[in-house]
Amino acid sequence: MTSQPQATRAFTDEKLGVGILGAGPVTQAIHLPSLARLRNILEVRHIMDVDASVAESVAARVGATHSTSMEALLGDPAVDIVAICSPHQFHADQVIAACKAGKKAVLCEKPFAMNADEAARISAVSQETGVPIIVGAMHTFDPGWLAAEQNWGDLPEKAHTLRSSIVLPPNARFEDFATEIITRPASGTPDYSDAEVIKNMMRGGIMGLAIHDLPLVRRFTPDFEDIEVLQARHVRLFGYVISLRTGTRTIELRAAMNQTWKPEWTFEAISDNEALRIEFTPSYVHAGSAVATFTRGGETVSYGPFDHNGYEGEWRELAELARGTKQPPSAQTLIDDLTFALVIADATVDSVAAGAHA
Amino acid sequence: MSPQYTVSATPEAEEAGSVALAVASLPATFGPAEADWADVVVVAGTPGWTADAARTVESGARGVMVINPVPEDTAHLAAAAEAARTAVVLDLRWASSPALVSRIGEPDARDAVRSGLGTAAMLDSVATAAPGTDSNRLLGEHLATLLTVTGMLDGVRVLRIDPTGYTATGRLANGAPFAAQGVLTSARPAGVDIQLYTLDGGVNISVPDPLAAWPAEVRVRGSHGEVLLPTLFESAHRAAWRRLKDHLDAGTLPDDLAGFARLTDLYETLT
Repeated sequence: MTSQPQATRAFTDEKLGVGILGAGPVTQAIHLPSLARLRNILEVRHIMDVDASVAESVAARVGATHSTSMEALLGDPAVDIVAICSPHQFHADQVIAACKAGKKAVLCEKPFAMNADEAARISAVSQETGVPIIVGAMHTFDPGWLAAEQNWGDLPEKAHTLRSSIVLPPNARFEDFATEIITRPASGTPDYSDAEVIKNMMRGGIMGLAIHDLPLVRRFTPDFEDIEVLQARHVRLFGYVISLRTGTRTIELRAAMNQTWKPEWTFEAISDNEALRIEFTPSYVHAGSAVATFTRGGETVSYGPFDHNGYEGEWRELAELARGTKQPPSAQTLIDDLTFALVIADATVDSVAAGAHA
Repeated sequence: MSPQYTVSATPEAEEAGSVALAVASLPATFGPAEADWADVVVVAGTPGWTADAARTVESGARGVMVINPVPEDTAHLAAAAEAARTAVVLDLRWASSPALVSRIGEPDARDAVRSGLGTAAMLDSVATAAPGTDSNRLLGEHLATLLTVTGMLDGVRVLRIDPTGYTATGRLANGAPFAAQGVLTSARPAGVDIQLYTLDGGVNISVPDPLAAWPAEVRVRGSHGEVLLPTLFESAHRAAWRRLKDHLDAGTLPDDLAGFARLTDLYETLT
């Protein structure tokens, strides 16, 4: 009988084509190295960037087509999966366009929208077209997090304290461990005396940094719609001290990006008698998964590290979604995650503007 | 050779301060009192402890050890102790850890933190204790520890305090934010963690409870890498007793009460 092996081979040999909108450092240092590990199932076929030379150079690294327009990429029949790695403000329209182009799956870097209206439009298009969408909240795809999920029992219902702490050096340090970057966004020295600068940095801190772990926090916060900001303070060079409260949860968010070489990226959920601590590896460096550690009743049990991180997990998930072998997350989950982040960002900025907590 | 100084403790103070264990670890210096009178009297730091200690001073004790005192006005006690030349030492749950303030010339957490305060970006601290712990009392112990290493905290206020813990906030000397969180859980050993983040490094401090001689860990991070300060297998209790011995032997008076007054002053602004 030869038909079964042939069919199996034909299926696995059929690689899915990937197109990427935006060829900046995240694409260069995170997605291309992740995809390089998955060449048996995924193939980068089209790179788009508004800077033609960047598009051409990055595409050449992987033997892909390059262009400077979204339409060219979406019109490329070799592209099955679209990854949206452009600046935040373009995400919503590009997700919608990718869905309408009939692609098999869409990955949108977080945040997938900047307001509730955009989120609702995306939800409607996703339902209308049936194109699965996932948001690049990579920690939710990290094998360490997934192992914790398998083993946390009723901790999400019992936890009273949640903590997210992120300490990182400037991105460039880790980008350079992962690849040879071409073109980095220009950076300057912010005017810390300008309240508007601080407000923008705090919003950027929530929507660009805290948002990595807010979906994790929300999983442990059943009354997430009842959020109150107790303090929101800016940390130099870039970071925050934010204290939140719901009717049943205390949530503490910390971040500091400075010149340190030592990263720390942790999520903790603590109840009266049980604690979960997850130590994530930093972005960019492809240093494998998080390690999840439960302590309860004098026992400590750890899961991980596993050999890949959440970015690679995203791509594995996308391949399954595109093949229809896995169900996508509900649009409501993505909207709730986004709404949670937006509410915190708005309240944080209001808190800073009021001056009481800055 | 009999011990130099006899010690007596109330049952409450004995339990709170593991006095028998600490005294037994300095057997050439301290020993249990067998008569009504003792050279050193141990006082529990429950509300009213300053009055108890003052009475002890006035009764002629050469030394007073106060176990884990709550914030309270120490002015009268300090005056009485000075007049009588009585050494009053405070055995603070975490702040008396020898890793925080060492003997002269040895590296410690206080020096490490104060060296970093000029470029501090944030200080984040979490105190852990068992469910049922009085959050107010825990906050006092926590702030005492922070004051020991930072020297000062400005604009401190409590954002929340409830049966699961608390969050307090304020500023370091350079204006950088600090946050002190209390978490009540039996999932982890009681203790306090302090993370100071500076512009290019920082200090991580982990202080366990003084029930055993678990060493605190102090790690200093910079461009050179990270250095673990020498571990000291000595509990906060024993370190306090060792200081009392030094003062009794030298005939000097400790500055514990003056230092504690800063905590009392700070605490009064919170309540």
